[in-house]
Amino acid sequence: MEFLYYFGDVFAPVSFGLLILGTVGGLILGATPGLSPTMAVALLIPFTFHLQPVQGLILLGAAYTSTVAGGAVSAILLKIPGAPANIATTLDGHTMAKQGKGAKALQLSFLASAVGGVIGVLLLIFLTPVLSKWALAFGPSHLFWLAILGVTVIGSLDSSSVVKGLLSGCIGLWLATIGFDDIMGAQRFIFHPALGGGINIIAALIGLFAIPQVLTMFAKGRSDKGAEVIAVEKHSVIDAVREVARQPRALSIGTITGSVIGLIPGVGGQIAGLVAYDQTKKFSPNRDQFGKGHPEGVIAAEAANNAMVGPSLVPLLTLSIPGSPTAAVLLGGLLIHGIFPGTDLFDNHPDVAWTFINSMLIGQILMCIFGLYVAGLAARVAQVPQSVMAAVVLGLAVFGSYSVQSSMGDVYVMAALGVMMYFLERFGFSAAPLVLGLILGPIAEANFIQGSMIAGATDGLGAYFLSGALNIALIGAVVASIIYSSWMEIKSRRYTSKEEIMG
Amino acid sequence: MTVPSLPRVQHIVASGVIAAVGCWVAWVSYTQQPAEAFLFPRLISTVFVVLALWTFAKALMGWTKVGHGLGRIDVINLFPGLIIALIYVFWLAKALGFYTAGAIVFFILLAIYDPAPHRELKTWIKRIIITACYLVVMYGLFAKLLKVYTPREVFF
Amino acid sequence: MKKLILGATLALTTLAGGAVFADDYPERPVMMMVSYGAGGATDFQARIVTMTAGNEDALGMPIAIINKPGAGGRVGWNWFATQAEADGYTLGAYNVPHFIAQSIKGGVEYSTDSFEPIANWGADPAVFVVATDSPMNSMDDVVAFANENPGKLTFSGAGLFVGHHIAALQLEKAAGVKMAYIPTKGGGAAAMKAVIAGEVMGGVNNLSDAFRAQEAGNVKILGVFDLERNAFLPDVPTLKEQGYDIDNASVNFRGIMVPKGTPPEVIDTLAATVPEMFKNGKVSKKMDAGGSPMHIMTRDEVIEMWAAREETLKELLAGL
Repeated sequence: MEFLYYFGDVFAPVSFGLLILGTVGGLILGATPGLSPTMAVALLIPFTFHLQPVQGLILLGAAYTSTVAGGAVSAILLKIPGAPANIATTLDGHTMAKQGKGAKALQLSFLASAVGGVIGVLLLIFLTPVLSKWALAFGPSHLFWLAILGVTVIGSLDSSSVVKGLLSGCIGLWLATIGFDDIMGAQRFIFHPALGGGINIIAALIGLFAIPQVLTMFAKGRSDKGAEVIAVEKHSVIDAVREVARQPRALSIGTITGSVIGLIPGVGGQIAGLVAYDQTKKFSPNRDQFGKGHPEGVIAAEAANNAMVGPSLVPLLTLSIPGSPTAAVLLGGLLIHGIFPGTDLFDNHPDVAWTFINSMLIGQILMCIFGLYVAGLAARVAQVPQSVMAAVVLGLAVFGSYSVQSSMGDVYVMAALGVMMYFLERFGFSAAPLVLGLILGPIAEANFIQGSMIAGATDGLGAYFLSGALNIALIGAVVASIIYSSWMEIKSRRYTSKEEIMG
Repeated sequence: MTVPSLPRVQHIVASGVIAAVGCWVAWVSYTQQPAEAFLFPRLISTVFVVLALWTFAKALMGWTKVGHGLGRIDVINLFPGLIIALIYVFWLAKALGFYTAGAIVFFILLAIYDPAPHRELKTWIKRIIITACYLVVMYGLFAKLLKVYTPREVFF
Repeated sequence: MKKLILGATLALTTLAGGAVFADDYPERPVMMMVSYGAGGATDFQARIVTMTAGNEDALGMPIAIINKPGAGGRVGWNWFATQAEADGYTLGAYNVPHFIAQSIKGGVEYSTDSFEPIANWGADPAVFVVATDSPMNSMDDVVAFANENPGKLTFSGAGLFVGHHIAALQLEKAAGVKMAYIPTKGGGAAAMKAVIAGEVMGGVNNLSDAFRAQEAGNVKILGVFDLERNAFLPDVPTLKEQGYDIDNASVNFRGIMVPKGTPPEVIDTLAATVPEMFKNGKVSKKMDAGGSPMHIMTRDEVIEMWAAREETLKELLAGL
């Protein structure tokens, strides 16, 4: 209960001002294509040079929580996920926006984010010692199986054909190997100098999601009158609260998946949203509604990616090991002020530690309030005429992908992948499994190689990868996931009518 | 359906291209050195080739269930925008600077796809105003707020 | 075609450069490429040492950090050598011995000749760490274990042909043992996590990160791969003190460089101002707070250091 004691500090005028600044700024930065939470936090570090440690951290903590939620704005309205965490949000969120329900989608996403986020931070407050053990329990072999578990999700994710879903995943896995191999340093598949640095995930996300969008709008031509959406449905906040309360399953699956997976160093943040989305879909009686603008999809994805924020800081705050790129940047923010995370932090600087954590708690709520306030207005983006929209998204894609690393190469990669994805989509492939492959490929590969090196020096490959309770549990989950997907595929085959096959 | 429909031919071509890419990836993976670095690509490319050939076979047999291919109207509508977008990304953005090129391309795209009548002066004024707004927002967001230094050649 | 464009660009920049650069440089913000991820030790230090760049007595223009991480730094340096514009507005952070070792090993498009050093800001020695509950308490224990179990002692480091790997190679050579070096993806932080979580038996890591981990009670530091003990760890003996003939070849020198072809006027301006910028009291205070040892060297000293390092590394890596 120590944290309650430091709540007052958050509400000191300067601190609270910074909290609001961080939250609002974070939402704007998060909604800008090409700016991932990591980059947004890194951008803010120089400002903290001039602030007290506590104040600096309040700014960073608030910015972190709200950039993650802000990513949902561009995911829903423009179909450009701001970060890997928001990929799953595009699936149903953007569909809802296209149906004129943008306001509702945004409200649901902010409410779900706040619920997930607050629970995530509470876990950080109360269960840190237990959680830190869990975070360390994942060695290379476990991370490898976890990545494989992610791969098995590919087939069932947003695709009407399992084979094409898997093939999309394979293309993603291959794309991820382009560039320098991370451990050996060998060059692989670099057939153009722009690929020398490999495929940047943020630039790839922009290309794969935004460019097909732009081209689809072009393909409709100028004959189409005006906007995709003529009127944006008004949706009251109270209705949104009711709607979220009606979906406890999506909310709880999202929150639990997000906080459990978010803990695992190096993997969690990126796939939490997608895994939660997939799980919710599997447990939902309305699973055929997913991808067609189902509220559960938005709720699960957003609850998961904000629930991950708190737990993802556990390894950093307890062991001084940054578990995610954003945590690494926050570590820098702490070190600049001479504060070492770890036992030192809670013993000698409890004011800094708890104020920081509290600010994330309050930040979640502020973010939700502010988000709900602008949701109705922001949803009007869907009313922008298509011709303008296509040109704006194209511009944002170019500027956004450039600003990731100030590199023209990333822009080329973005455009090439985007055009490729447009044509692939026309033939029944989808972007989500491809992106999942792109994310999971490097995790699976690096951990497999590292694990096999350790295994080679110790007890052999089989013993290292196949023994131990956690390995066996993960392998069990992989097998269960495959069986479940195949069973669903067979079942759906049986019910597919002849017309559908011809269509 | 007696004659192969347009989508069917397209599906064959598309899955054929993917299968060809898969084979190329597999060939590179199995021939390049050092072998340790290509262990994982070998694994992936094997699965890749199998799945791609399966899809190709399905397309040949006309069993493809999903994807509508490209219609003639789609292609005609898409073509100018796609070409301009490609010129913009791969050449103009760097040659003229991001903001100049961005504004020009924005205006051209608007002129092509905006359904408002071309003959009226009002339409053109509106288009110029929208382009100017776009430029101001992009400049404010990326150059002023985020301080990204994008390539600049002409003007700013 | 590419050469032609390059030539034309070079000609243009020198034409423009001769007139403009001498007095006006820099007239817009400068970018600095760091070839490791945001939040890593190099990135963190680069952000601190460049934070006063905007001051009037320094460059008068801020320096923005751009991260191009991947493959132990190869991605960033390859980009820097081949694609970065040599106009003085694109600086890069170097890590010695990393990029020199990688260029000797091959497979990359850069060498010491591709870059012009400006100044050095820090020197971070490698240290050998084990988890707190490890039975090993000195380097002799480590070597004794490796002697009894050849090739079975697993220890982590940040990648192949980076400072940590050089230190590992030196240790194996000096002690005459065979050990299992496990490179991790994700830099020093991931390598440290592997040690703390018990995935490996030991590890080579940055002194600055290890110092912090030791303060947090997570690891024991058994030895420093340097010529002298470090001010941050006065109680930890060097490897040489413990009887292993290991010099400072693995010490991670960090500094600023520009691509070859940058106008000489710009290099001169930078070489004169940057070391002064590093000496700013604010910088050293922040570096000290973060546990990062500083070591300021001028351009001439760095050129000498690069040459010396290249020679030692060629010798060390010859057998591989």
